[in-house]
Amino acid sequence: MSASTATLAPATVRRERPIVTRTLSAFTTLTRRRLALSVRTPRELLVPLLTPILFALVIAPALASIGPTIPGLDYMSFAAIGTVALLIPLNCMFAGIGVILDRETGARRDLLAAPVSRPLIVLANLAVALMITAVQVVVLVLAAMLRGADLNTSASGIAWFLGAAVLLGITMYGVAETLANRFPTVEQYVGALPAIAIVPFFFAGSLFPITALPWALTGFARLLPLTHALALMRYGLLDHNASGLHDIWGMSNATTMAALSLTVVAAYAATFSAMALRTFRKSVES
Amino acid sequence: MHDNDTNSPAISVRGLSKTWAGGVEAVKGIDFDVATGEVFGLLGPNGAGKSTTVGMLTTTVRPTSGSARLHGRDVAIDAIAARADSAVVFQDPVVDRALTGRRNFDIHARLWGVSDDDASRRIEELADSFDLADLLDRPVATYSGGQRRRLEIARALVSEPRVLFLDEPTVGLDPRIRYELIDVIAGLRARFGATVLLTTHYLDEAERLCDRVAIMHAGRIVALDRPATLLAALGDQMLELRVDTDPIAALARLRSRGVAGDDSFAVGATLTIPVRGRSVDAVLTAAREIGLAATATSTRPPTLDDVYLRLTGDTLAA
Repeated sequence: MSASTATLAPATVRRERPIVTRTLSAFTTLTRRRLALSVRTPRELLVPLLTPILFALVIAPALASIGPTIPGLDYMSFAAIGTVALLIPLNCMFAGIGVILDRETGARRDLLAAPVSRPLIVLANLAVALMITAVQVVVLVLAAMLRGADLNTSASGIAWFLGAAVLLGITMYGVAETLANRFPTVEQYVGALPAIAIVPFFFAGSLFPITALPWALTGFARLLPLTHALALMRYGLLDHNASGLHDIWGMSNATTMAALSLTVVAAYAATFSAMALRTFRKSVES
Repeated sequence: MHDNDTNSPAISVRGLSKTWAGGVEAVKGIDFDVATGEVFGLLGPNGAGKSTTVGMLTTTVRPTSGSARLHGRDVAIDAIAARADSAVVFQDPVVDRALTGRRNFDIHARLWGVSDDDASRRIEELADSFDLADLLDRPVATYSGGQRRRLEIARALVSEPRVLFLDEPTVGLDPRIRYELIDVIAGLRARFGATVLLTTHYLDEAERLCDRVAIMHAGRIVALDRPATLLAALGDQMLELRVDTDPIAALARLRSRGVAGDDSFAVGATLTIPVRGRSVDAVLTAAREIGLAATATSTRPPTLDDVYLRLTGDTLAA
């Protein structure tokens, strides 16, 4: 080792940068770091996509061929959007595994020692989870369209879809970050993952309208953010009659119902984001 | 540099305490100052409160009471500014293993606000200094334990910290790598001018590296001085007697004969006695006269282990 002979140049004078510049620079660095780690982890990229792809390309067409019908809608297309409601929670919950690994075996403590606002670590992780989810949703929707799903796209429809998808992603990442900061091990987290990421899919109207459920479960489904987000996504790309929103709200004005559901999902997103930041802060400042 | 605080100590700790939820008092009102450019050691066994103290100084543990300042900046009130002046090498590996060494350097540099040009220059210089140049573009997962540790120390230096915290930097390493790293750490002040706070339970390491040491025991500082001063208090020679009788009772009998002082202590079946003005033969003769059969005897210079055991071996010393 040549450590005893080399000499660094003298310390340079530190210049204070404006707080906005520092914050943006730190956020960019943390986001690029998380992205670099995620793209090297096939688990984060591929595993969450497998089940929704299976639903969209195999199960939905198979179900469509034996006859379930949704009034006014093509079942294949109905189920294709339904699989997005499986993909987003799955992917965001898988992102939570990275939070635990970062804490247990990664560089998180060095990030905590950095002169940056610590919630930026959570926000950067969220940004990357949304980026990866966006790519996966595009892949899933394109695959479903190639398989025969018939989606109508308009600017306002895409806006409703994106609004719902992004807010659902924020909600689910908030849940993931909260649990990741509470569970001490990956094993415990993975044990809870199916209950959080998959079970709501079966209640939220993914494969059939929520009104097909017993009345008590229909009421339960109306409380789930996933139900509202899914009805909005279908309203944007498929269901211009807003039948899914009508099943939730029972109103006649589609735009009003869409706005109400978007507000519900936004409220969930705000609540779980706040919980995520709170549990993160408690876990890093004991 | 911050011109307004050049006269303040690099680290100033006053009445610092930490009580964990559940009531465990990890740190109990400690005070110390570390001068700029000093290498300061916090010594003690696991559970003494060293890492909790470093956690409070690096703002990951919230103090229950008291204050700590880095170059005049209160770590609880002005945490981000305090962190800007410092860097930490943690006890456990804290690296992104999937990323290359260069990427690990680069992330640290950017978070500490080092400009791109300065970062590139310093990364190359540090990689050369720490024998990492050939490894820099390999994923850290492929590094050996010693290489990874060198990377962590070098990474901490890329922001040119004014205060460097080394939390048990050599723990868990094999002896050859440990001695290599001790050499690296010994050169840090000369080469980088940083104030260094080092925690360790290897007392030889502290003796070699530190200007001053604080010995911690059960959350308190029980001694704080230069290693040489602490050692001088024990004289220049220690006599060890291995006995096959009750060591506590044996030590009491030697004390009653005036051949062992209050600074003698017993650990297991071994009595350790600072010889001071007495001759070794006189102590051994006295031991025989009281019927104490030593199964083995040896003499050696005092070490910080002796200082530590004398100060903290309450249940062992008579």
